[in-house]
Amino acid sequence: MDPISGKIDDLMSTWSRVFRGRSVNIALFTLLLFVVSPFVAPGSLSPASVLSMIPFASVLAMIAAGQTLVIQQRGLDLSIPGMVALAAVFGTSLTQNYNAPVWVAVVVGILVPGVMGLVNGVFVSVFKVVPIIITLGMNSVLIGFVFLFSKGTPSGASDGLNQFALAKSWGVPHTLMLALLLILVTGIVTQGTIVGRKLRNIGVSELAASILGHRVVSYKIMTYGFAGLCYGAAGVLLAGYIKTPNLFLGDSYLLPSVAAVVLGGSALTGGISSILATSIAALFLTQLGQILRSIGWPDATQYMAQAAVLIAVVVSRELLFLRKVKKKSKS
Amino acid sequence: MAALSLLGITKDFPGVRALDNVTLETTPGKIHALVGENGAGKSTLMAIAACALAPDSGEIKIFGESLAGATPQQARKMGLGIVRQDPALLPDLTVAENIALGVGIAEVGGLSNAVKFSDLILKDWNVGIDSRAAISDLTQEQRFIVEISKALAVKPKILVLDEPTEHLSAGNVEKLFGIIREFVNPETSVIYISHRIREVKMISDEITILRDGKVRGTYNSDQISEDQIIEYVIGRTLETVFPPKLDYKFIAEKEEKFAVTNLHGDGFANITFSVRSGEIVGIAGVQGNGQEELIQALSGLTKSKGEIEISGNRASLGNSAAMAKSGLIYLPADRHAGGVLLPIAVGENVVARTLRDVSVGGIFINKRKLEKSAKQQVEALSIKTPSLETPLSSLSGGNQQKVVLSRAVLSAPKVILAEEPTQGVDAGARVDIYKILREAADNGAAVVILSTNGVELEGLCDRILIMSRGNVVVELAGEEVSEEAIARAALTSTAVRERVERLEHRQSKLHRWLRGDQSPAVILFTIAILLGLVVSLKDSSFFSAFNLNAIMFSTAPLIFMGIAQLTVVMGSGFDLSVGPLSGVLVVIASFFVVAKGNPILGFALLGGFALTAGLLNATAIVKLKVNPVVMTLATFMLFQGLYLFWRPTPGGAFPDHVTGFIAHSIGSVPIIFVIACALALLAEFASRRTRFGLELRATGSRRDAAEKLGIKVNRITFISYVLSSLLTIPTALVLISLIGIGDGRPGLAYTLQSITVVVLAGASIFGGRGSYIGLIVSGFLLQQVLATTPFLGLPEDWTYWLSGGITIIAATIFAQLRTARSR
Repeated sequence: MDPISGKIDDLMSTWSRVFRGRSVNIALFTLLLFVVSPFVAPGSLSPASVLSMIPFASVLAMIAAGQTLVIQQRGLDLSIPGMVALAAVFGTSLTQNYNAPVWVAVVVGILVPGVMGLVNGVFVSVFKVVPIIITLGMNSVLIGFVFLFSKGTPSGASDGLNQFALAKSWGVPHTLMLALLLILVTGIVTQGTIVGRKLRNIGVSELAASILGHRVVSYKIMTYGFAGLCYGAAGVLLAGYIKTPNLFLGDSYLLPSVAAVVLGGSALTGGISSILATSIAALFLTQLGQILRSIGWPDATQYMAQAAVLIAVVVSRELLFLRKVKKKSKS
Repeated sequence: MAALSLLGITKDFPGVRALDNVTLETTPGKIHALVGENGAGKSTLMAIAACALAPDSGEIKIFGESLAGATPQQARKMGLGIVRQDPALLPDLTVAENIALGVGIAEVGGLSNAVKFSDLILKDWNVGIDSRAAISDLTQEQRFIVEISKALAVKPKILVLDEPTEHLSAGNVEKLFGIIREFVNPETSVIYISHRIREVKMISDEITILRDGKVRGTYNSDQISEDQIIEYVIGRTLETVFPPKLDYKFIAEKEEKFAVTNLHGDGFANITFSVRSGEIVGIAGVQGNGQEELIQALSGLTKSKGEIEISGNRASLGNSAAMAKSGLIYLPADRHAGGVLLPIAVGENVVARTLRDVSVGGIFINKRKLEKSAKQQVEALSIKTPSLETPLSSLSGGNQQKVVLSRAVLSAPKVILAEEPTQGVDAGARVDIYKILREAADNGAAVVILSTNGVELEGLCDRILIMSRGNVVVELAGEEVSEEAIARAALTSTAVRERVERLEHRQSKLHRWLRGDQSPAVILFTIAILLGLVVSLKDSSFFSAFNLNAIMFSTAPLIFMGIAQLTVVMGSGFDLSVGPLSGVLVVIASFFVVAKGNPILGFALLGGFALTAGLLNATAIVKLKVNPVVMTLATFMLFQGLYLFWRPTPGGAFPDHVTGFIAHSIGSVPIIFVIACALALLAEFASRRTRFGLELRATGSRRDAAEKLGIKVNRITFISYVLSSLLTIPTALVLISLIGIGDGRPGLAYTLQSITVVVLAGASIFGGRGSYIGLIVSGFLLQQVLATTPFLGLPEDWTYWLSGGITIIAATIFAQLRTARSR
């Protein structure tokens, strides 16, 4: 092997480690993005700019945490838009239209998506319906509920919820605090407990897991239920933050949630995943959007940018992988 | 000259030398047997002979012609026919279609002649195989017969049969032997691979023995005894392989650990036996007599009725988690599917069953405890692994099986159920595995072993239960346990085996029709008519010409989208991007197809964009192996961004003559609807009667088998994605006419609707089966439902509920039908 191609191979293997690895690498990319931010878009690292970005990153991280758990079980949750929108509708309209206390609106807003998630889980694990189909159908049903309860017009969040979502304690925005709490809890459960090990085993192979004696059906149902709670919490928080949520506010979180999981290095084939890496990827994606917005790109291009980032990452990962396989079969 | 020559073949896999300088030459006009244990290298050698695998060194020749660098297809053309142990059949295609793909469409006289051809070559077997039936509706024996007939139909010079009698009943083994003898002549030769020594001696002229990747000798069949063959196959005397057995004098003193009373289930009935602590009981019999089903039921993976007691406690049936909790450990035959967690680290695999023991308070995992426990087992069972962190997938088969056993040892089980415990394991590890199983028994476990290896059963088991037709018919204990006795009992008890299986599988015509491809269409049509009647009772204008025209017009895009989606789904893919793509196309047209615009350029750009979109999806998915859902989700967002970017608000009104032209009707029937229906019929015809259609269904049905048959699966998948994007063009045209203005948003809903229509039409989302005709009816029904809501005075939310609800219900019903089919 000549020295130059040897060097290129070394470089490529470093790159492939960067791409194929987990939290460390997405963290590296995120750091890089923050470092170049002020040069690309002056002011995008100003306290005001960062503070306006954090709530959206927090919401995306919470949603993506749910998506990570579903993808770990070899699923893909396409019901996120409906889940988030429904949570927002309950979080706002119950106080505005039905005079319910704030806490009731918040609890119902979080729990209803949780229950609908359980329904997803039952269809997937008991009736063995393909996850993407069931969640796609469920999304439509949820949007139906959104129209039913909102009567087609968005309502405003109660002042209590709005102020909570906007406020800070000890200098930390509440949105960030809640997201960190959720990430911490799910991170510890998935990485450090028996439940986490069982979830991973089921994700790797359902048959092997049931032979090991894991209760596959209940774990899967609970996974979808918990994911629903994540979407619910995110939806209520988002509604509180933006005060008057649009009925389709969940639409713009579906692709980023998948992108965050993929960027975080979780395998779409199930089993191996990292909530922490997904969350960092959520921060990455949101900051990227922030930069694009501050250099004046319209919102429509955000969709395109996210799609482009997702395609670029997945493709480059595959290219490096294919290269590796080719090299192996040659030697 | 030798018929087939394999000269000095060497093949290395990571960590193992699978074949070491193997030379094998067959004589024309002779039947040459290749014997050896599982893992001896037989299958690797045959894969190399078939050019499916390239050797590291060595040469392959057929009648002197070198096969160096040939593809499997070329090898086949040069006269090499293989009957694989796992038949390369496509479950969703019919018998005739499978034979046509295997033999060659031209060779069978075109697809219209396939059924006649298939009837002809299956005639000699006389086992009642319907050439029009799907392979998935056949029994294993029938499938194997189709595979053999397929291989013989191409008139090969060399015929390789890999464990051909595994799935055949005694009578059909005779028929097969007759057919093989008839086949051999001075221009041909047969390689017969089997581990059934008796049958090998009966049929073969020459025998080559393979052990641990090396040839241990080639003999004339009548100059070597069965015992000698066995000794050469295992490479040592039995006494050194197996640990000493239980002393049967004291058996009555042992505790009864595992008691099965009157157990009934799918494939077996009336099973009663018990196993005492320290005892190893083998379950044997001719394959397919209920042994696998019994083990699966005992493990709790499948449902059964009766009673199972573990250490005197009643176990809950059909619940693997509860069984595991009561102290039963199951070691499945298919290690990769159910035994191990391949991508997970060795250490984690070892403790997977005893997580509680390495935890803090039964909640948190303690890494140190985990490592300590795993390390102990790795050392105790001498598992060869670089480290505890190594993924299990990089270990050899024998060491993987030891990891599975280490879990059993760790959890101090009461009962061990081991299915083919030494399958695909090298000779050294095999000895260790026998030792581990015996030690587990000595430590108090009751052990049940299912094995097809007579030597293993004789050497390891204290008692043997022989099954026939789902019942235990003979029991051999102590001194009676010998390979010969097992084989004799198994054969004599199954000699009169009727084709019970087939009787069970034969159902009423109605039942078969219900599970067929076209039944959903008829059912949906009935529902559509009933729904129409109900609505028209409430509002008689529902059946008015105007309303029907509107429904038909809006149905057309659903049919187009359905055809697009089904083409991808048929090949086992998925395309989420079709909805937004139609939106982009409308928006593109809205800049050119306007008053004083350039409509020709507009439509050209529209077509060009659709093509580009298809190529983009196809390239990423096929060439770069991106997950189709992720890729089309990304393009879904990309297209959404594009139309919003170009038309943030609706704009660019389409001229009336354009919208009017698209909406043109003859009488009250819109022309575009007629075109949609015609296209669906055409697609249906193409999927059954053209090479592309057949290959697309084959690819979706079983990609690996399709590839083995020489179908260019990647090209087929690529084309399916391009077709899917192109088929959104007519949908965009209808949208142009429907909304009359450049707006991409209305297109979005077509993604869900395309999937709804496909699922409603009864297509399998896993590929391979579906009906394009069904799309016409399911599209019509869905549109009718959507159109019904205003007639019944229902608000907008109902539109969402109905389309979502119908998708969920249809998907659930078909998922249930599918699981019923696979049972």
